[in-house]
Amino acid sequence: MPADQETLGRRLGEEGYLADEGLLTAVHLAGVLGLPLLLEGEPGVGKTEVANVLARVLGRELIRLQCYEGLDASQALYEWDYPKQLLSLRAAEVEGRAAGGLYREEFLLQRPLLRALRAASGAVLLIDEIDRADSEFEAFLLEFLSDFQITIPELGTIRAASAPFVVLTSNRTRELHDALKRRCLYHWIPFPDAEREQAIIQAQAPGLDERSAARLVAAVHRIRGLALLKRPGIAESASWARGVQALAGEGSSWPEAMRRSAGLLVKHEEDLALVSRHAAEVFGD
Amino acid sequence: MTDLVVRLRDHVQGFLRDLRDQGLRVPVARQRTFLRAIEATGPRDAAHLYWIGAATLTTCRDDLEVYSPTFERWFGQAGALPAREEDSPAEDDVPAPGGDGAPFAAASVGGQAGLAASHSERESRPVFGPASQDDRAVLALLRRELRGAVPMVRSRRRRPGRRGPWIDVARVCRESWRNHGEIVTVRRRNRPRRQRRVLLLIDVSGSMKEHSAAYLRFAHAAVGCLDRVEVFTFGTRLTRVTEPLRAREVDLAVGSLSEIVLDAEGGTRIGPSLQEFLANARYVTMARGALVIVLSDGLERGDCGPMRAAVRRLSLLGHRLLWWTPLACDPAYRPVTRGMSAVLGSVDTLAGVRDLRTAYEQVQNLARE
Repeated sequence: MPADQETLGRRLGEEGYLADEGLLTAVHLAGVLGLPLLLEGEPGVGKTEVANVLARVLGRELIRLQCYEGLDASQALYEWDYPKQLLSLRAAEVEGRAAGGLYREEFLLQRPLLRALRAASGAVLLIDEIDRADSEFEAFLLEFLSDFQITIPELGTIRAASAPFVVLTSNRTRELHDALKRRCLYHWIPFPDAEREQAIIQAQAPGLDERSAARLVAAVHRIRGLALLKRPGIAESASWARGVQALAGEGSSWPEAMRRSAGLLVKHEEDLALVSRHAAEVFGD
Repeated sequence: MTDLVVRLRDHVQGFLRDLRDQGLRVPVARQRTFLRAIEATGPRDAAHLYWIGAATLTTCRDDLEVYSPTFERWFGQAGALPAREEDSPAEDDVPAPGGDGAPFAAASVGGQAGLAASHSERESRPVFGPASQDDRAVLALLRRELRGAVPMVRSRRRRPGRRGPWIDVARVCRESWRNHGEIVTVRRRNRPRRQRRVLLLIDVSGSMKEHSAAYLRFAHAAVGCLDRVEVFTFGTRLTRVTEPLRAREVDLAVGSLSEIVLDAEGGTRIGPSLQEFLANARYVTMARGALVIVLSDGLERGDCGPMRAAVRRLSLLGHRLLWWTPLACDPAYRPVTRGMSAVLGSVDTLAGVRDLRTAYEQVQNLARE
């Protein structure tokens, strides 16, 4: 972990992630205190990307657990390789030797949580969209997040050699348990202000000049102000910037390129219709 | 301990106490984390301290509404604090078209009830009276019938079962240990069926006054016997009433709503209320793949555009969209009011429900489909 918050911010910036002071403080504290970090925010504001970039900054392996309804311990933690155990038993029988233990390391299929615990130099563990998993799964995570240990009945308790840096993300589609929240630091990632978003866009769409980036960001902010079904996130605005850049490079005028590639920014038919109704004020025709 | 350290400690303790007094409950463990974080990082300025507190003392975005002003009182303005973002632009804040000051465009036909719909909220509390003996008998029937009537969906989770396309390798191997490695029985796994989520959106506006209590009792029966059900009421605003309806006794549960549903027997803003529902990502998840039942006469004031758009989106989100209206109990009813004719294309079934008996008939129809 970088020694101080400024260094952390600089290193994240070098990797293309421009975090504001709130997020930097939360990430820094999570590293210093060794606590999991729960990130919430609307889709597309860069929650998952924090973990990706952190893994690069810290030089650790990124291990991702994508949550979904029905996710259970065997998919998150470990499972025994039963067919392999059976084959081993058969082979021993044929060869006339003792089969030995069937719950050995070689028969253990490690899933993301166990892999994160066993990563020699620590890992960045991303538990993505925890709100999609069942609430029972949250309860199951409590032991893991409190002590970074898990118990496999046949093998005993396994503790992390080096605690993983855990990032949990949630889109707030349901309320998380207090017990889980209590164990985490919390940060809500808001939409960035215009200045920060312009810097992000310029970082992600190389070659885009300052004036054009400012114009795009102004349009994005005006669009976010409309009554949309889904407001565009940073990911969408960066991809729109690249789209506009490409079309402008082919000879389209700037407003025309913005209008033609608006589908990269808003993804609902109703929203597109709304944006085109406000084309003059949004695209500055 | 120096005097300055003691004063600083008292200041931080006072801040934490004030947070609690303002309604932000911070458990001791989190308070300890806050103090550890201060010690570990040594905050540079008030803004840094603000973010340390935000990360350690809050657990959701709403907490910032208490945290930020309290912090400001104790530590002064900490620079650019985040503004509270709405889930979506506050379109609802705009007066409903045709509202105050605009001439009232009366619904063309559809019974007398809707003509009394207004934009204003009522001033007195509604009284959802007790259920009659007859009602209770029908409720018992409903509880029995509802479980079978709700459409089923296959779970994504695989469970051990007698039949199924997947071999339960774990179980087969475990059992084979007992038989010296011989596989005697092949065990299987399948994806069991379970009820779809049910979403009830109940109109409690003045024009629905006669039917609201019966609808809420129906919702109570649904909450009591279905696995996954969510209930909202709407008149001029949206209210989630699932939790109060979990009370076992029907009169107690429905009676308690008098204190919660503040817009009952008031005006009608169907479109904006449904849009309020759709603007909340958490609520939208409740509608996704669900059996959505709207219990309303569909008599919207003013511009029907928001209502049409909201119903269309609800229909796209849900599995099926049923619209139950008391007006359709009249065989002569035709959905030709501007609101109903606008949403008709998005509705899967339009049916007449005015009380528990007619609701029971519709539930039976649902079971037959």
